[in-house]
Amino acid sequence: MINLLNPGSWFGNPSPLLQANKECFVDFDQDRPLGEYTFVVCDTELTGLNKNKDELISIGAVTIRDLQIDLSSMFHRFIRPMNMDPTQATLVHRITPEQLETAEPLCEVLPGFVEYIHGSLLVGHHLPLDMHFLNKATRAVMGGPLSNPGVDTMRMAQGYKRVRLGHYHEHNPRTTSYALDDLGKEYRLPEFKPHDALEDALQTAYLFLYFIKKFRKGGLVTLKDIFQSGRVGSFRY
Amino acid sequence: MAQNADTHVVAPEMAVSFFRSILPFNRLDDATLHDISRHCRVDFYPKGTRILSAGETEIPHLYLIQQGGVKAFIEDDQGEITLKDFRGEGDYIGALGIIRGTLANLNIETVEDTFCFLLPREIFLNLVEQQASFAHYYLKSFSEKVVSTAYNELRYHKVSRRSGDDLYLFSVRVGDLVKKLRKVASDSSIQEAAVAMAEYRVGSLLVYDPEDEENIVGIVTDRDLRGKVVAAGLDYQLPVETIMSGPVQTVLSQALCFDVLLKMMTTSIHHLAVERGGKIIGVVTSHDIMLLQGHSPYYLFKEIRGQQEISGLYILAQRIPEVIRGLIKEGAKAGNITQMIAILNDHILERMLILLEEELGPPPVAYCWLLLGSEGRREQTFKTDQDNAILYADPESEKQKKKVDAYFKILAAKAIDHLVKCGYPLCPGEIMATNPKWCQPLSVWKSYFSTWISAPDPVELLNATIFFDFRSGFGDAGLSRELRKHLKAQAQQKDIFLFHLARQCMSTRIPLSFFRNFIVNRDGEHKNHLDIKYQGLTPFVNFARILALKYGISETNTLARLKALFDAEFINRELWASANDAYELQMQQRLIHQLSQMEEGRAPDNHINPEQLTDLEKRTLKDAFAVIERLYSVLDKMYPVA
Repeated sequence: MINLLNPGSWFGNPSPLLQANKECFVDFDQDRPLGEYTFVVCDTELTGLNKNKDELISIGAVTIRDLQIDLSSMFHRFIRPMNMDPTQATLVHRITPEQLETAEPLCEVLPGFVEYIHGSLLVGHHLPLDMHFLNKATRAVMGGPLSNPGVDTMRMAQGYKRVRLGHYHEHNPRTTSYALDDLGKEYRLPEFKPHDALEDALQTAYLFLYFIKKFRKGGLVTLKDIFQSGRVGSFRY
Repeated sequence: MAQNADTHVVAPEMAVSFFRSILPFNRLDDATLHDISRHCRVDFYPKGTRILSAGETEIPHLYLIQQGGVKAFIEDDQGEITLKDFRGEGDYIGALGIIRGTLANLNIETVEDTFCFLLPREIFLNLVEQQASFAHYYLKSFSEKVVSTAYNELRYHKVSRRSGDDLYLFSVRVGDLVKKLRKVASDSSIQEAAVAMAEYRVGSLLVYDPEDEENIVGIVTDRDLRGKVVAAGLDYQLPVETIMSGPVQTVLSQALCFDVLLKMMTTSIHHLAVERGGKIIGVVTSHDIMLLQGHSPYYLFKEIRGQQEISGLYILAQRIPEVIRGLIKEGAKAGNITQMIAILNDHILERMLILLEEELGPPPVAYCWLLLGSEGRREQTFKTDQDNAILYADPESEKQKKKVDAYFKILAAKAIDHLVKCGYPLCPGEIMATNPKWCQPLSVWKSYFSTWISAPDPVELLNATIFFDFRSGFGDAGLSRELRKHLKAQAQQKDIFLFHLARQCMSTRIPLSFFRNFIVNRDGEHKNHLDIKYQGLTPFVNFARILALKYGISETNTLARLKALFDAEFINRELWASANDAYELQMQQRLIHQLSQMEEGRAPDNHINPEQLTDLEKRTLKDAFAVIERLYSVLDKMYPVA
């Protein structure tokens, strides 16, 4: 970890943490029962949605073990951005400028996150967007992308609806929202107040738990079943 | 997995606020709540998932339902299913099993998609050991703390603070308050005036012109007698006009009390003559108006006792709810409140009958005005139907009998009419003294009870139960005691009628539980209201009545009957304490429910909407239902079906 703080190592080989994480997935077996996997549900907050310019300013994550959300280990950190007008943050996010000014920089936060997700599958709502920024960040700070397979709860929602409504029923896409809050309302999940990346990750975890257990009750018992049924995720992002 | 130090410090707000909202966790401090939240897991159980199986499942954690609902049931060898409970948001699963260290004792299955917080059993057991409130709560004892919290919650959340406690001043017109016109001629002596004031128990007299009685020329008050006569050593034989004030200040009878009070305060004149249609109809004093505001039961009590006219009782009776409201706000408990209501009602009745006797002349034989049902038990809440009867001494001759019949017929008719005007509605079942059937001599009353007891017709017996709670409301209490003695002797000999009463009592189905905004019965039937009288209170009343009759206890009040049963060791302390608390708390709930209905201008009823109950109220009611189940099992053992 010490060499991570040395900018000279940033552009060399991927860091040992990334390597170790990668090795977990070399012979990744998708045929095990769902309960045997560990999932990390994460949510990021960004300075904006420009894929080239914008940066991560907070990461929230919760772990799902035995298909139960484990509130004893959660991850929540703010990140001091390189380029950002701190006053802008309060407009877009629920983060105060002080929180950002006193936050650690990316190079200090990210290894902890990589450690946190070690060997776990990543889950997120519209995960590709989070992965883009996370991979960009790990490439910059730790010399490579993340190797964790991922599951997108938005794709799960689409798959779940297809299964429930049947393939032959066209439903009006205009009346269907896949926003996290709207899905929560539709499936009558507990209500969350908009709060921060951690609470958003938790809300996503509730949604994930809902779908995965509904799928499991419907006979999909392995990770592969889930991946195939609704094409809800992919092996790599 | 290695964990960064600060991954531990976060506790999701969502979990903390959940614990903060449920019993008994809401009594814990914030740091503890955060700590608890951080040790939980969250699980989701789709509808129809079996969470626990009786006698099979180990219980690794306490389940706390965040959202959704479950049913608890047992299944016998034949696959027969008995529903035991429904549990929804904020309820728990598995506590008893963890505390006792046993396997699950009930089957639990989700009836909806359900999210639960899972609290590890060690943490839960620590809480139960360290926090007395946890042990009480989960061991389902009707702890004093839960009870007193429930009372406080009822008081603070359900009794609204009303700013306009002086509302009466703006709604009552002075004509409604005015006392009967009492007057003296201006040439009467001061002493004659003083004698008249003492006799009428008034503080002032109007003074009229001896030539024209309608012509009011002045007023003489207590104060004039003190200041101008006694203190000044004036001759008592002087005409009263020498000390009167005149001409009198008048107000119109339709003036609002508020305006009249203002006039008194600005002129410092505390006795005003009230004028209607150009004629003086009486006097109103500042004291009369101040009394309108007074919520003190004592003032009301004094006013009732001092009342010289029956019509004056009408408005006094209407003030009882206001006095009761004040008592509830001050934290009085239902047992005391209903006693106070009974005392005030009794005094209204007593005063009314005394004045009525003055009007009709003394009764030809001794009689006793009997109060039945809830009045007989001293358990009335706000205006409940009249249930009364007349019991009189057996006339000595046929001739006297005719006189007696005629007298009580008139007395009953007038009394019932006055009671209606006081705001006590007629009994729809005609159980009133005006019904000839219920206006009878002692010998007939004795035969009524003998018939109910020795040859019970179950239907008739059911209708007669309110008679078994009779007590003397006014008159010769000796007659009532005589009748009670007769009943006691008969009841203890004839168990068959107690058997019928017991079986009838047990036929009232007890609610099982609350689920969402529904009340659930044993057969799973849902209703959106609870009849707190019929389903909640009546079983206690019935139980106490049956045992009191069985063991010859003369008390009619339910709490007093229970206490007497405990004192004589017919029921154990635990059952007595639980029944006492459960009954009184439900009475409190009923009182407050009715009070708030009256404040909204609605007629009070007994239908409680579960939606308006707090968790604690639901919980205490649910505990009360469990107590009823125990009362039933006592009766069931005592009077088993052959």
